[in-house]
Amino acid sequence: MIIEIICIVLVLSGLLFLVGGAIGIIRFPDFYTRMHAAGKGDTMSVFLILIGVAIYQLNDFSIANLLVAGKIFFITIFIMWAGPTSTHALIKAGIDEGQKVWTREDKKGKPDA
Amino acid sequence: MSAVSDFPDWGDPHSPANSYRLSQGYITETFPETSVPNMVTAVLADYRGYDTMFETVVIFTAGIAIIAILRRYGPKDKVVPEQKLYKKEPDLIVETTCRLMIPIIQLFALYVVAHGHHSPGGGFQGGVIFGASFILLALARDLQAAQKWVPENRILNLAGIGIFIYSGFGFLCLLLGSNFLDYSILHKVMGVTPIEARSHSMLGVEIGVAFTVAAIMFSIYSNLASKGEMKEGL
Repeated sequence: MIIEIICIVLVLSGLLFLVGGAIGIIRFPDFYTRMHAAGKGDTMSVFLILIGVAIYQLNDFSIANLLVAGKIFFITIFIMWAGPTSTHALIKAGIDEGQKVWTREDKKGKPDA
Repeated sequence: MSAVSDFPDWGDPHSPANSYRLSQGYITETFPETSVPNMVTAVLADYRGYDTMFETVVIFTAGIAIIAILRRYGPKDKVVPEQKLYKKEPDLIVETTCRLMIPIIQLFALYVVAHGHHSPGGGFQGGVIFGASFILLALARDLQAAQKWVPENRILNLAGIGIFIYSGFGFLCLLLGSNFLDYSILHKVMGVTPIEARSHSMLGVEIGVAFTVAAIMFSIYSNLASKGEMKEGL
């Protein structure tokens, strides 16, 4: 019962981060801030959701379920590892390619400070 | 659209496709006949092994066709303006992550290949993962770094070796006096029961498939990314 409540809280908070990342991709003004929302939101949400699923597997404890939970945990480590690196690579490619950084002045139509 | 409602329910065990005695036969007979728990692999590599052999040949042919169309030898064509290639300076974070990650990806690919007859996976999937590890190396460093491990002639050799392993299993069965790709006769050389010989031979042909798929995956990537020059690319 307690384990189920923990799982529900983890998965729901993961979904919250996922929604936040999705809204960020749509609403943010330039490439860098969009990648910021996508990278951070996706990594954190997938981490929370998968940890919740792994704990749910351990609800009725057996060796087979422990194996499944371990595999999910490895996936989590892999995503925590690969996600920020790919975000970094994309941002760096954006800088090299010459993407403009959005500033507050852009919105008002004034020249860049 | 009106005919869609006449389809059987999704996952209905009593639908005609599921209740026909062929699928029932596969479900009940696969493990006693081949000692492979994963029926999909058993159908793919044993009952329909002849199909899968030529699927591997199709992948090989696709790779050969890509090379024949895209690969350019000799002096550059001056008519096409030289596109300014994106010069990449090495990036510490990306390189370190890839250096740590590529061995793990390759180990996982071997696990997928070796476990294909027990759990989801197999030669095609494992081969794709193995080829993707070289593509990751080519993306993180440059194409030259990956070419050092898999040069062009080695790609073709590996792709050929894959088909050779697969068809070699078939011809070994012929030599021992059975039908083409009838693995149970191989218990004479493997020293196990005929049923276990089918399981082991499935692993063998999966390894052959993995060789071809991994080599052709990287070949297609490197040809597409470098416009056939095989020098530098993305």
